[in-house]
Amino acid sequence: MLRYLRRNTSLAVGLVLLGILVVFMVGGAFTIDTSNAQPLSVPALLPPSWDYPFGTDREGRDLLAVMVAGTPLTLWIGFVAGFIGVGVGAVLAFTAAYYGGMVDTLIRSIADVGLTIPGLLVLIIIAVSLKGSLTVNQMAIVVASLAWLNPTRTIRSQVLTLRERGYVEIARLNGMSGPEIIVRELMPNLLPYLAATLVSSVSAAILASVGLEVLGLGPVDSPTLGMTLYWVFFNAAIINGWWWWWTAPLVVIVMVFLGLFFLTVGLDEIANPRLRRIA
Amino acid sequence: MDAPPPPTPGTNGAVLRVDGLRVAYDHARGAVHAVDDVSFSLRPHERFGLAGESGSGKSTMALAILRMIKPPGRIEGGEVWLEDISLSQLAPEAMRRLRLAGIAMVPQGSMNSLNPVLRIRDQIGDALADHGGKLARRELAARVGSLLGQVGLAPEMGGKYPHELSGGMKQRACIAIAICLRPKVIIADEPTSALDVVVQRQVMQTLGRVQADLGAAVILVGHDMGLMAQFVDRLGIMYAGRLVEVAPIHDIIAAPRHPYTRLLIDSLPSLEHKGGLRGIPGLAPLLRDLPPGCAFHPRCPAAEARCRVEKPAVRPMGPGATVACHLA
Amino acid sequence: MQLIYVVRRFGVFLLIVWLAATLNFFLPKLSGQDPVRTKLLEEASLGGYVHAGIEDMVKVYQKKFGLDKPLWRQYLNYVADVAHGNLNYSIANYPRTVAGMIRDAMPWTIGLLGLTTVFSFVAGTILGALLAWPGAPRWMRWLMPPLWALHAIPFFLLGLVLMYLFAFQFQFLPIFGGYSAGASPGLTWTFVLDVLRHAVLPALSIVLVSVGGWALAMRGMMVTTMGEDYVTFAEAKGLRSATIFTRYCIRNAILPQTTGLALALGQILSGAVLVEVVFGYPGIGALLFQAIEENDFFLIQGIVFTVIVALGFATFLLDILYPWLDPRISYRRG
Repeated sequence: MLRYLRRNTSLAVGLVLLGILVVFMVGGAFTIDTSNAQPLSVPALLPPSWDYPFGTDREGRDLLAVMVAGTPLTLWIGFVAGFIGVGVGAVLAFTAAYYGGMVDTLIRSIADVGLTIPGLLVLIIIAVSLKGSLTVNQMAIVVASLAWLNPTRTIRSQVLTLRERGYVEIARLNGMSGPEIIVRELMPNLLPYLAATLVSSVSAAILASVGLEVLGLGPVDSPTLGMTLYWVFFNAAIINGWWWWWTAPLVVIVMVFLGLFFLTVGLDEIANPRLRRIA
Repeated sequence: MDAPPPPTPGTNGAVLRVDGLRVAYDHARGAVHAVDDVSFSLRPHERFGLAGESGSGKSTMALAILRMIKPPGRIEGGEVWLEDISLSQLAPEAMRRLRLAGIAMVPQGSMNSLNPVLRIRDQIGDALADHGGKLARRELAARVGSLLGQVGLAPEMGGKYPHELSGGMKQRACIAIAICLRPKVIIADEPTSALDVVVQRQVMQTLGRVQADLGAAVILVGHDMGLMAQFVDRLGIMYAGRLVEVAPIHDIIAAPRHPYTRLLIDSLPSLEHKGGLRGIPGLAPLLRDLPPGCAFHPRCPAAEARCRVEKPAVRPMGPGATVACHLA
Repeated sequence: MQLIYVVRRFGVFLLIVWLAATLNFFLPKLSGQDPVRTKLLEEASLGGYVHAGIEDMVKVYQKKFGLDKPLWRQYLNYVADVAHGNLNYSIANYPRTVAGMIRDAMPWTIGLLGLTTVFSFVAGTILGALLAWPGAPRWMRWLMPPLWALHAIPFFLLGLVLMYLFAFQFQFLPIFGGYSAGASPGLTWTFVLDVLRHAVLPALSIVLVSVGGWALAMRGMMVTTMGEDYVTFAEAKGLRSATIFTRYCIRNAILPQTTGLALALGQILSGAVLVEVVFGYPGIGALLFQAIEENDFFLIQGIVFTVIVALGFATFLLDILYPWLDPRISYRRG
């Protein structure tokens, strides 16, 4: 396993980045007082110091506590939405690819049309309608509502490629039923690809949720990464020179995206051996 | 070990001479020899067949002659002579000009060998252009028309895209491209795979006809022994990267010297003697896992103790014939 | 070009427009909120007190905005209005119309987005092709890691960083707005230059992130294409390296790359919206942000609808372009 990691550098880098975040979150949960992530907990607008390593914001939040509390929330939204997206997408994709015909055309058309519409905007409409009453979980559901579009398309094309392979035909001739073929023959070969799609989907979900939050449409009372940035803009923190306020969430978000990106590339390499470099 | 003898310059009248060619692929656990010390000569106007199972190294050989082996493969040693020119001494640009003009390849046309977004006439045209200057439109059209006519395609085919042509037509288009610069040697790499028998015959007839018109020599690479028997003058058999037997076609069918050749010929179904299908027991070895001694000995019905330890050398057996077997 | 193909694609475009309008209409209704009442209550509470007559006010405005009619009539009116380009009045900026506000903001966004997308796509594709080609200069390999790293992050984050750098460290580029306060709009050279200077940072945020993405994608397509049989045969034909690179590799790899562009348009736009917010660039994005802040429901609806239509149209154009690039696409099959 370790030897493979050395060859698949992308996977290794991705796991390292995400690993650092996990350690940060878990370690922080045990050592930091996360109630300080709420407003009016600590003195406001202090630059980083020993007491407050990430500084404090204008509303009196300890930014280190905010990061420790908020990172898991953002990741949680991403994971829930990403999983739902891939789950629904996979079911739809398998159905469409396996049964073909009208079913396929219908599902494919819906996905294609849905993808032309920029997701963020639809999400904005949804979020604006629900404004003010969003919890973190509701946020995840909102993002999930569109998260299945891309996975449906990509998984479907992958299944179609596999369906043409001989072993599916043989399974069918051997009398396996449709769902049985899907589960026993197609799935195992698709697992690496599904994993890559899942990571990709989580990344896209986090991006969507952060986007919504920055616009002010997220769970207003939660210290998620996107909401923190929203407060940054709201308070014109950049112009005012309170650099520590936005540096922390920025670094964490970049790490999340880079980590997930490298993980996707690494998983892609497993899924598609042609991409492997010769040892 | 003694130093290898200095290579004889030139081809002694042959149009193509391959001398001790070795192609290696670098692998995690050491180098794998896809072509292992292969030597043969091609006489002018001759039709030479190169037969073998998948993985025997025959396609690699074709690429090696054209010096198109890419990393992780490399040409490890040996010489290739086209008349007086030593291909291994050529600069890359000179070698590029020699491709198609001196030695031309006919690939498997029914597959993906033609550029899907260019018309046929443009794919002939760019070959002509890169080899000596663009032609005026009318001249190009005339050239293309005449080439297509030679392979039995109507001139309108020039304006079509590859996906609009049938497998046989695509194959003939590939032949047209291969002959457009009047090469001395044509290497046809499995030109009839994936074609039905009727079309196969048409393609082979076309190939034979253009070869005669050009006065070129042909190397036919494939695995269909029946096809070889009908087309070639001399046949070479490859196994595990080595050329295990070469002989004139009638001799090799009537009296094969190598046990592998014997089994191959026996496996051909015959209309006269009805019986069960006979194959060759076992599987071809993985090149990276070759058995010691003669590579064929695990499947050879006549293997002796010597075969298991000592690799047989290639020995001449008469004009244009060689064999690599301890028992021949 | 076969007419039936164009017609079918246009049909898809109309479908998208209709779908957008319908979603736009029904989704907000699901929450049960009444935008007029909400806005009025908000305004009233800002003033300090809510008086009894506010319900009457609500009724008057509802009538004006047509919100008192049954749902299906509202829907039909909505569709009819939209078809005529009437996107209603802005609640927060009454009596300005939504269509008018959008018309003011659109050119900024089209300018910024259009130019940066085209530039990133072209530059990224060329770069990607070169990166895949063994004959390209070796120093180009060093461009890969930073481009890779950059492309994984959202546009607006890079915008944030750039804004900080140029606000405090290198102070020669403006960091806010579309043009300097007090500048008089017009086609004068000074104004145009001013606009361009203000556009540099937003444009950079988008370009630096996008180029990496396109380059990576093209490089991948090129690697696949270079492994194809027709490239091997092209080399066996003794074609020049440059010929193989352009006519055989790029010409084929550009096809899935263009499809990628069509699919990415939505994402690019979403990212650009956030960039405009960060830099206060007076385009659709900033307008949307303002609308959200002000709870200006009709404006939000209008913007979302307009954007979806614009994107649908751009996709339609790309769809028409595609068969011209790839002769295998049969016009008849659409």
